[in-house]
Amino acid sequence: MAFALHAPRVNNNDDIVQVISFRVGVGDFVKRGDVVIDVETDKAIVEVEAERDGYVLKLMCEVDDKVPVGAILLWQGDSADEAVPEAPVAAPAEGGSGIARPTAKARALLKELGLDAAAVPASGERLSLADVEAYMTAHGIRRRDHTPAVSVPAQESLPDVPGELADLNAEERGMLITVSWHRDHAAATYLEVEYDPKAWEDHAAAYASANKLMLSPLLPLLAYRLVQLVKASPRLNATVVNGKRFQYRPVNLGFTVQAGETLYLTVVRDADALETGKFIEALGEVQRHAIQRKLSRDETTGATIAFSSMARWNVSRHIPILPPYCSLMIAHAAPKGSGRAVLGASYDHRVLSGFDVARLLMDLAKPPV
Amino acid sequence: MNLDREAIKGAVRAKVIELARNLGMDAGDIGDDDIIPATGYVDSAAILELVVWYEAEYDMPLKQEEINIDNLGSINSMADFVLKRKGAG
Repeated sequence: MAFALHAPRVNNNDDIVQVISFRVGVGDFVKRGDVVIDVETDKAIVEVEAERDGYVLKLMCEVDDKVPVGAILLWQGDSADEAVPEAPVAAPAEGGSGIARPTAKARALLKELGLDAAAVPASGERLSLADVEAYMTAHGIRRRDHTPAVSVPAQESLPDVPGELADLNAEERGMLITVSWHRDHAAATYLEVEYDPKAWEDHAAAYASANKLMLSPLLPLLAYRLVQLVKASPRLNATVVNGKRFQYRPVNLGFTVQAGETLYLTVVRDADALETGKFIEALGEVQRHAIQRKLSRDETTGATIAFSSMARWNVSRHIPILPPYCSLMIAHAAPKGSGRAVLGASYDHRVLSGFDVARLLMDLAKPPV
Repeated sequence: MNLDREAIKGAVRAKVIELARNLGMDAGDIGDDDIIPATGYVDSAAILELVVWYEAEYDMPLKQEEINIDNLGSINSMADFVLKRKGAG
């Protein structure tokens, strides 16, 4: 089945991107991570990468076109001769040409996604919200309302010291979004427990030996244990949106990776559905992609819980910033030579209590039997 | 890309020493058959950097299951694995 590549959101203030150039043409085979299109916003030129391997079936825009974030840039397929879903490029007048008129909710969602109503099949006389959601599911389209706005005081004055202003790069912008959400939305607090690391170290060493692993599986096994504990207690896997509890279905694990000077929160999606070995492989894969600077969008978004270790840097404690819509981030530290280790947690007190988190940390401090 | 076995070993050794130095360790005496993760010179994050460098240096993308002690555990085995994959071993 053909699949679409959508115009990315480069930053929160730009709902439109302009196509600068195509790096590929119809019939080309591209691999996930290949740059296929360059787009520009008011602030930056961004390379858009293919999210999957596949042949380019059809380009849905032209150079210099201004397209809404979320709109389809091109179609790909597993073979070069797949059919592309019918999707007129030009938006027809509403209600004309036999196209089902969208309901108000459907129209709002279409607008949010930058989709043309004519591209979405209607199940009845009117194009319903369910029709649009079914189309989203079929084409792997996600809503983008999980990117919170960054609130920066409009009248912030410049420091009274000579200097120059510069735009933040994508990673810095992401960090600003994260710290802003932590500050403005989460009721973030922190607690920690100390534990004797020997049992976990022995467990990891035995696992590494049995599986001939190159990399110590200690942190992946700790992260996997976290996933399993959260899976068993779904209330730990939730957030608050618009004053309501939002219960996540999958457990998507965020895992921090330092690549050079950049700190990434890599994401293993549906981690709760993976067996131990597959989870370790998946985590290894996203870590490598981070170091290669080839992370896909799915590998950097959608964390529902998270894990961070600074054991490498020999710190005794670190208090993580909560990523947007993530209510729990575990902080691991193990000062060398101390014979002790620390499991801490930043958590959103709107969602979790200290009791919830303390019990989780005590369970996490022990390897599975 | 130099596929001479000694050249590969030298390049891998130099990379391990560089990564160890970043962690404040001197890996100058690492042996060709020493199991790199067991030497204590480099941690998992550094080994991951070593693997990513190795893939790029020898233009040889690895499957996750190939990243194991048998294939990449020592300087010798890393050299052998390149030669095997390149059909030069």
